[in-house]
Amino acid sequence: MLIEVGHFALVLALIFSILLVVLPSIGLYQNKFSLAQLSKPLVWVQCFWIAVAFFVLMSAFLTNDFSVKYVADNSNTQLPILYKASAVWGAHEGSLLLWVFVLSLWSVAVSLFSKRIPSDLLNQILIVLGALSFGFLLFLLFTSNPFERLMLPPLDGRELNPLLQDFGLAVHPPMLYMGYVGLAVPFAFVVSALIRGQLDSTWLRWTRPWALISWAFLTVGITLGSWWAYYELGWGGWWFWDPVENASFMPWLVATALIHSLSVSEKRGAFKQWTVLLAIGGFSLSLLGTFLVRSGVLTSVHAFATDPTRGLFILIFLFIVIGGSLVLYSMRYNLLQKSNPFALFSRETGLLINNILLVTAMLSVLLGTLYPLILDSLNLGKISVGAPYFKAVFVPIMLPAVLALAIFPFVRWKKDNFSRISSLLRYDWIGIVLLTLLARVVLTDNIYVLIAIGLFIWVTVHIMVLFINRIREKSKFSLAFMGMIIAHLGIAVFVLGATVTTQLGIEKDIKMSINESQNIAGYDFIFNGVNRYERDNYSGFMGDINVYKAGKKIAQLSPEKRYYQSGMPMTEAAIDPSFTRDLYVALGEELAGGAWSVRVYYKPLVRWIWLGGLMIAIGALFAAIDRRYFLRVKS
Amino acid sequence: MILSWQFVLMIVLSSLFLAWFLYRPIKANLSDDDSNISINRQRQDELELDISQGLIEKAQYQEAEEEIIRTLASELNNNESKNITIKPLIWSMMIFLFVGVLSLSVYSQLAPKIIPNADNGINEPLSMTESINKLESYLIENPEDFQAWKMLGLAQVGTGNVEKSIESFEKAFLINPNDIDLLLQYASAIAANQDGKFYGKSKILIEKALSLDPQSIQVLYFSGIVAAHEGNLDGAIEFWEKALYLMSTDHPDRNIIEEALGTVLNLQVK
Repeated sequence: MLIEVGHFALVLALIFSILLVVLPSIGLYQNKFSLAQLSKPLVWVQCFWIAVAFFVLMSAFLTNDFSVKYVADNSNTQLPILYKASAVWGAHEGSLLLWVFVLSLWSVAVSLFSKRIPSDLLNQILIVLGALSFGFLLFLLFTSNPFERLMLPPLDGRELNPLLQDFGLAVHPPMLYMGYVGLAVPFAFVVSALIRGQLDSTWLRWTRPWALISWAFLTVGITLGSWWAYYELGWGGWWFWDPVENASFMPWLVATALIHSLSVSEKRGAFKQWTVLLAIGGFSLSLLGTFLVRSGVLTSVHAFATDPTRGLFILIFLFIVIGGSLVLYSMRYNLLQKSNPFALFSRETGLLINNILLVTAMLSVLLGTLYPLILDSLNLGKISVGAPYFKAVFVPIMLPAVLALAIFPFVRWKKDNFSRISSLLRYDWIGIVLLTLLARVVLTDNIYVLIAIGLFIWVTVHIMVLFINRIREKSKFSLAFMGMIIAHLGIAVFVLGATVTTQLGIEKDIKMSINESQNIAGYDFIFNGVNRYERDNYSGFMGDINVYKAGKKIAQLSPEKRYYQSGMPMTEAAIDPSFTRDLYVALGEELAGGAWSVRVYYKPLVRWIWLGGLMIAIGALFAAIDRRYFLRVKS
Repeated sequence: MILSWQFVLMIVLSSLFLAWFLYRPIKANLSDDDSNISINRQRQDELELDISQGLIEKAQYQEAEEEIIRTLASELNNNESKNITIKPLIWSMMIFLFVGVLSLSVYSQLAPKIIPNADNGINEPLSMTESINKLESYLIENPEDFQAWKMLGLAQVGTGNVEKSIESFEKAFLINPNDIDLLLQYASAIAANQDGKFYGKSKILIEKALSLDPQSIQVLYFSGIVAAHEGNLDGAIEFWEKALYLMSTDHPDRNIIEEALGTVLNLQVK
């Protein structure tokens, strides 16, 4: 009966989402405050029932209730308890339930932490969020019911995809969804302002912290996904330009543009049109990602389903959300036209350049992602757009963006001149050139690495100068300023890590016999053989490799080759991590005479990629909790 | 549809929760004007901070200050509307009725018609014959329910009515020809009607299952049986060894396959 309670709880949540749209709307338009204020309790009660449904499904996994089809398809008695819990979102139905749950949590957060937002605006925002959750709950209940029963419950369930039997599943999807779904909040702010026709200072002020928090979560989610792919997929890559990865990256790029655009709109009253379009675009791209993953148009490690009914539903929903918000935008266009003037060389221009570059980068990724799908759907042949395209297009677009992000924090609002900046920074620029030349002499002659080192020094030196200037002026360090510094430094760290590991990394596929030694990047890898072992839900082989540097043992690596009950083989890499490099070993196939094929990677600065991502997210959180958002309102 | 006290309780509690807020509304936040005034005042303070940090020139500072004042002037509405009171009891009743009727109607459309192991007022489990009768009458109204046809076929095998079970499995097969479990059950029922021999259609069904999932332990087991029946002992050994390899050591079906493998290996020796 518990399963039916969970199912009914979802139905109740759907009904409350209808009430959430209807009752406060009546209250707002008929000036009945008692009805308008119901938006908050309606959000709470809706979230409560979604939480009940979510935990009922989790309990079905934990208690091996295989009468539930979703549980029987994705879990079995042998699965470790952590993976049983995370298997809740390991396939389409449960992950959609998580999506809806996260949306309801965001709605509750908005209702609780918005005491400085006028009631009418807040109620309107909650109405928009309620409409979105109505769409998703409808999708969940009518096409993707996670509580579907089996007439003949099996004695044991099938198996969770072995790739997902990992700690990464417990953290990556919830974080990513917090970001993805979080973009619904700035979207709801913008749509509410458009509905009310009040595109004033209030919505601009309060959209920014929510955009920053959701962007931080999206950054963490993408970073965790990259880290997970690196250690789990067994071939040492950290980004594959997989269409579904791109689907999460595109909203990130637009959200990055949004938080910058918001800062100009909020402080100087410019770019309001941009800001509105970016908020709509960010959430629309997150819906597009949902469509790509769940419609069956893609084949990917991330793809959940191949059900055209689901695809059609999301497509219609996407059309309503994008179409509806763009219609609103066009209706309120006259209110958005007013923009305060600024000179060609000003901080506003810098942020505009940042916006243009980020949106261009997003469009290039969108083109590379959708082009093969469009060709395929028109029966014009199958093509694959891979890493070479994305690297060739994306990197040149982002290069000037990294250059600009160091310079423009020095540029004044409204009007400035380049000669002032150049006289301020000319000695630093000479120093940067000299340091880069020194790197050419001392470190490497690889041109890409030198560019990355140059960019790293460029950003770091400018940030240091900015920092020192503030100390000299005895200015206060606001959290927003600190956040900006940390995030920009994170970009520099990421660029250096990504370039160095790609350019200077070493990868070798080798045959290793027992006691054989191989030298890679100055490290001696000695193969001691392979042992067979058994676990509850898989069996496998575990290699034993000792690593020596200059005759001193520095690591013992145990790469695994696992065979799960479904027979699917899985490679579990063994990694010796450090701040400056990773040693990464993956076990291949058994060869004749007790030898094994082994893949060995030397990955310099690979950890900097995720460190950079983490710094960007921390920077965003710093900016989101800046003092300006907590000042008391004087009436 | 199942209407249980839990559902009624859920509806009542939710409605009471909302009714509470109709009687005791949450205090309103500040007005739009108050918010805009305070934000623009803060913008002015930040502008002063900007000029002290050299982030804006004096001439532009004055321009920006005027912009803030102009923005605030354009944002002030002062259109405070009069609040219209409502009758909480009527709205509470309406909410209760709306939630109750609509949630139960939607659920009746979505809920499964038969719930396995659900305590819906039936204390004694149905006998096999009663189950078959119930399933047959259910399938008259829902002839496209794949699971129900499969379940009926299994129940008919259980009562020894193999002929009927083959018909039911065939119906299920026409709805979903790619269900591994059905393919194996259907093949077994046909084989039972052929003195336990897997040939003809039963063999084709097992081969189809193997092509769909070559790693399934059950499929490998049945494929071994088909091979053994054809006298292909090497083939049978290969299938069963693969199945054993894929099984965990404490798998409940391990003994069955080991026994079958032992028998075939003995035959080979002889």
